[in-house]
Parts: sequence; structure tokens; C-alpha cells
Amino acid sequence: MSIPEQLLTQLISATEEVFERMVFVPVTVGTVDGHVSAGPHRHVVATVAFAGHRNGFVSFHSSIDTANEIAGAMLGIPHDSVNGEMPDAMGELANMIAGSLRTRMAAFEPAWTITCPSVTIGSDFSTRYPSEVSEARVPFTMNGRTVEVEIILSKR
Amino acid sequence: MRILVVDDSSTMRRIIINTLNKLGYKECHEAANGREGVERLATIQVDMVITDWNMPEMSGIEFIKAVRGNEATKHLPVLMVTTNAAQDDIVQALHAGVNNYVVKPFTPDTIKDKIEAALKPA
Repeated sequence: MSIPEQLLTQLISATEEVFERMVFVPVTVGTVDGHVSAGPHRHVVATVAFAGHRNGFVSFHSSIDTANEIAGAMLGIPHDSVNGEMPDAMGELANMIAGSLRTRMAAFEPAWTITCPSVTIGSDFSTRYPSEVSEARVPFTMNGRTVEVEIILSKR
Repeated sequence: MRILVVDDSSTMRRIIINTLNKLGYKECHEAANGREGVERLATIQVDMVITDWNMPEMSGIEFIKAVRGNEATKHLPVLMVTTNAAQDDIVQALHAGVNNYVVKPFTPDTIKDKIEAALKPA
């Protein structure tokens, strides 16, 4: 099973809308990759899980520098002034992307429940998944930097 | 106009308050969840409340019910700002007593329009 085209289309639209309205920086979508790289990276991963008609999660990936830039844009402060605010900002960003995706998909199927976000920050870590999932990673370019939005869908 | 913004995300409180400031609403107060919101309303006078839905300790829905159940605050216009935007969510929020509903991600124009609509006499 692969990620349904409709789900990917809505995920891309949700991400573009969140960046346009809440980060105030446009993003340009790249080519969707069905294979999720396993790291290790020094970066930020903000994740929101969902359950119900579909089960899985949405994760936002970026470098720490880019995450600080995004947090600064959201808060209306210079990126080099961002300190402890970045994790909350990344969690809220993932929450809005997953929430917007949930709302968009609710027009076609029963609404899911989404969880509160979790944010992982660090280096030399990687994420592995069981074989019972489908995965896709969508790259976006923002001010010359690349961020990625990942969706994992359980086959169960 | 004095506005209380209730949201567990400090980022979202800052985004909402920045937006309100740009719209000319300069006196804004903050609370990190519904329980803190109830405590703030007992000590300050505000003209409107903007609240999130999903928060620890006391959710937005429980908070709105507490606002509507208090003689001193039951008249306050309440806007809900949330990602919960399925039809059932909106019905639940309206039943709890919200005056208007803003879906994240929002634009400043949406906030402006919803505030103005909530302030109009019924």
C-alpha cells in the first residue's frame, strides 16, 4: 500500500497554507520521495500522530538553524534572538499541518483524532519503522533551505 | 479593548497577540490553559476572550462553560481559535457557548472579521 494521492495532495496544500499564513514565508514543493531516509542527522523532528479512520503520523523535519529561522518568523523576532521558543514553535507548526490535513480530509471521510505534538531535537539519531507502514516524505524549499514533511500510514 | 488570549502554546499566544496588536488591539493578557484563564478573569477586566481548544488541565470547551457559568463573565464574547475544524467540532464549540470560530492557520483579516462579528449586538 502506498500513501493515497488525495492524502499527499492535501498534505502539500496544508503545509503551503500553514507557511503562508503563520510563518509568513512561502514554500515551494519538491518531488515526493516514498523512501524515508534513516539519518543520522542533527536536526529537529516535530510529530503529531492521528488515529481513527486512518492511523499514522505527520512529522516535520528541518535543521536546527532552519527551525530557529521558522520560529523567529512565527514569533516576529530575529532568528538569532530565538532561544527556548523553538521547540514550542515547531510543535505548533506540526500541530497546524496535521490539524489542517485532518480538517481537509474530513470533507471526504470520517474525521480522525490527532494527538498533542512531540518534538525531538538532537544529533546522531535515526527513526525506524515496522514493515506494516506506508511512508512518504515531501520536500519543501524555503528561502533556499530544505525542510521536509513526512507522513506515515499504518496498514493495520 | 482588552482581550484575554488563552492557549497552552506560547508561540500561538505570541502570534495571536502580534496579530491583535497590528489590528489595533493593544491591551492583551495571556493565560496558558483554561484554569489559568478562569483565574485571570477573576482578577482583570477584559472585553473579549480568545481561546484554544486542546489544552492541559482545563480544555477550551471546559473553559468556555466556566465563563458562561459565571455571572461576572457570562456576557463576554468568546472566540475559539483551533485546528479542530470538522463540522462536529464546530457544533460542539457552539453548544459550549462560543460566539465565533477561527480555524488555524488563520489570516489577520479573518481574526478582524470574527472579532467584529462577535462584538455586534445580537
